[in-house]
Amino acid sequence: MNTRKNLRQIWLLGLTLIFLALLATLPLYAPTYTIILMTSILMYIVLTMSWALFSAPTGYISLAPAAFFGIGIYTSAILGTRLPLPAVILAGSLISFCLALLIGALTLRLRGIYFAMFTFGLVELIKNFWLWYEIQFTGTRGRFVIFVDNTTIYYVMLIILALLLLVTYLIRRSRFGLALRGIGECEEAAAHIGVHVNALKTATFAISAIFMGAAGAIMATRWTYVDPYVAFNPLYSFMSVLMAIFGGIGQPYGPILGAAIFAYLEEILITRFPYYYMLIFGIVLIVTVLYLPEGLIGLVANIRKRVAGGQDALA
Amino acid sequence: MATKGWTRREFLRGVAVAGAGLALSACAPKVTPKPAKDKIVVGMSRPLSGPQAIVGDSAFRPVYETFVKEVNDAGGVYVEEYGKKLPIELIVYDDKTDVGTMTRLTEKLIVEDKVDFLWPACGTSFIFAQAPIANKYGYVLITAEGGATTIKDMLPSLPYVFVTLSFSDWYQLPVLAELLSKKGAKTAYIAYIADLHGIEYSGVAGIEFPKVGIEILGVKSIPPDMKDLSPIIRDAKAANPDVFCCFAYPDQIMPATALSIELDFNPKAWVGGPGVNFGFYYTAFGPATEGVIGFTSYSPKQSDAARALAEKLYAGKPIDVQDYWGHPLYWAGLEIWKQAIEKAGTLDQKKIRDIIATERFQTVLGDTWFENGLLSKDCHTGEIGQWINGVYEVVGPEKWATAEFVYPKPPWPKG
Repeated sequence: MNTRKNLRQIWLLGLTLIFLALLATLPLYAPTYTIILMTSILMYIVLTMSWALFSAPTGYISLAPAAFFGIGIYTSAILGTRLPLPAVILAGSLISFCLALLIGALTLRLRGIYFAMFTFGLVELIKNFWLWYEIQFTGTRGRFVIFVDNTTIYYVMLIILALLLLVTYLIRRSRFGLALRGIGECEEAAAHIGVHVNALKTATFAISAIFMGAAGAIMATRWTYVDPYVAFNPLYSFMSVLMAIFGGIGQPYGPILGAAIFAYLEEILITRFPYYYMLIFGIVLIVTVLYLPEGLIGLVANIRKRVAGGQDALA
Repeated sequence: MATKGWTRREFLRGVAVAGAGLALSACAPKVTPKPAKDKIVVGMSRPLSGPQAIVGDSAFRPVYETFVKEVNDAGGVYVEEYGKKLPIELIVYDDKTDVGTMTRLTEKLIVEDKVDFLWPACGTSFIFAQAPIANKYGYVLITAEGGATTIKDMLPSLPYVFVTLSFSDWYQLPVLAELLSKKGAKTAYIAYIADLHGIEYSGVAGIEFPKVGIEILGVKSIPPDMKDLSPIIRDAKAANPDVFCCFAYPDQIMPATALSIELDFNPKAWVGGPGVNFGFYYTAFGPATEGVIGFTSYSPKQSDAARALAEKLYAGKPIDVQDYWGHPLYWAGLEIWKQAIEKAGTLDQKKIRDIIATERFQTVLGDTWFENGLLSKDCHTGEIGQWINGVYEVVGPEKWATAEFVYPKPPWPKG
């Protein structure tokens, strides 16, 4: 059993590496727009995976991705002209990390719907605070962001994703990850057996914010112009949650699958069926919630079980 | 394996998967080689869903739809290098009112669909983000909804971008200030929405009003998500100004009007925009609109061409869809686009750009041209509008006025 599990892990690791290598060579032969579209899909994968990093094991529904994503965007808008690109992205992740640490320490005592409401409010709070700040102190109403060429943006996003995959993998197989799952199962019990519940939650929340901030910092260079409404768009919070649920949050590969397919499906709908986008999108969501409660990963597992069951019956 | 028939759940799962598969396969790359030109393909990223959808659908959309139909009914745009008229084909994508999506779709239109022309996205921040992209690829972009003082400073670095819509200091508020001071207005109170639009208008009013001797008694910002405006209207009423300005959107202009009526706040001039300039403002308030001031750019009374445009856009439709500020300017922008192609005799963006930048065109506004990337203010056939006897008249500048400016406005009707 153990060797079988190990084998499966090696297989998954190999597959991941091959996939990353394929993605890394993409700009050599793919047309420009494929790179642009892939960047956007990778962005959704990064947002969804980093959301799942904290929310999947703990069961806390965070609607804060847009806040940290927006912090990254504004970091890029402000520092983009003054610092080299890697420093800008690093700054975006660090500021997001620090803010998440602060917010996590203050609010992760909230649970369930209260936590979700707070994180949603956080996006609005930062947006309005920033709007006020810009009007009062800088007199700017929006900012132009430096231009970065499409291939560079793509590679940066790919590197962020690779790091995120690594961190997700390390956390899942560590005691840290086990304790997180413990919190998700029963927070009181976890606290009783000596898990530092609040510290652990805060740390994970902050780690997930690093990647959201980094994604925002690089995406801003594609958007060229940002204002607080553009940067702190709650849409990005909802998309992360929806994509994760669509893919299935029980497995690490669920959010990846969910984000990739969801983002691609959306691209087709807004370009091929723009006048019916919302209608079709709504139907897909309803079908998912009603018939695929465990997401696409759940569906895959079900099919596999059925196929395996059939083989057993034959044997 | 199949020991029993499918249950409903299994069937629906199958359908969902098949549906997703179909959608995926629908997007296999098209490899159709371009035949000799038989149409002009125009691409747009528009907010068909999301918060801006209502703006996009009532502002530029009816204009471009009417324009494309009219041009195609006449055979298309004549392009000399092909020796024939080419009809316009539109590709419209939905950007979900998201700037990130809009920038991506704009690049898709340019690099993948290789459209012949780009028409504009909707909203000031959207055109700010779209303009550098269009310029980078050398695509002419004549904008529609949106425009602001900040874009003026950028335009010299964006030679392919042309802004049609008029705005605060181009040249609405200077005209408003002059109209008011001539009638003897001495004091003003300004409420503005705390976003780019409101800040800009209140800022420009803060410069233009004192220039003509109008003292500003109070300035209050309205948070964009705030719906209850009664504290602001009460505060304004207590200040007792000659002029009340509400620089916000229909979402705030409508309740601000209703509250002013309810609280019997009767300044000598009540200015609101955008919102007052739409037909639905009259539908909502009827005779109470008498004397209310807003922004405008034309009146159907001004010329046969103006009347014909109003006829084309509004005949047989409810009064709600009328927009006297944006529609004529967007229409003029499209006319310039068509005439520039016909003058250039080619679809070459550079040649067309040079013609748009330097030449003059005959449009619904009369003699029309761009000046440093902005539609010249001398082409605006009006800046300030006022509801008089149920008609939205141009009252300023005087050169274009279709009616005498009413000041003070009559008090709100009772009951």
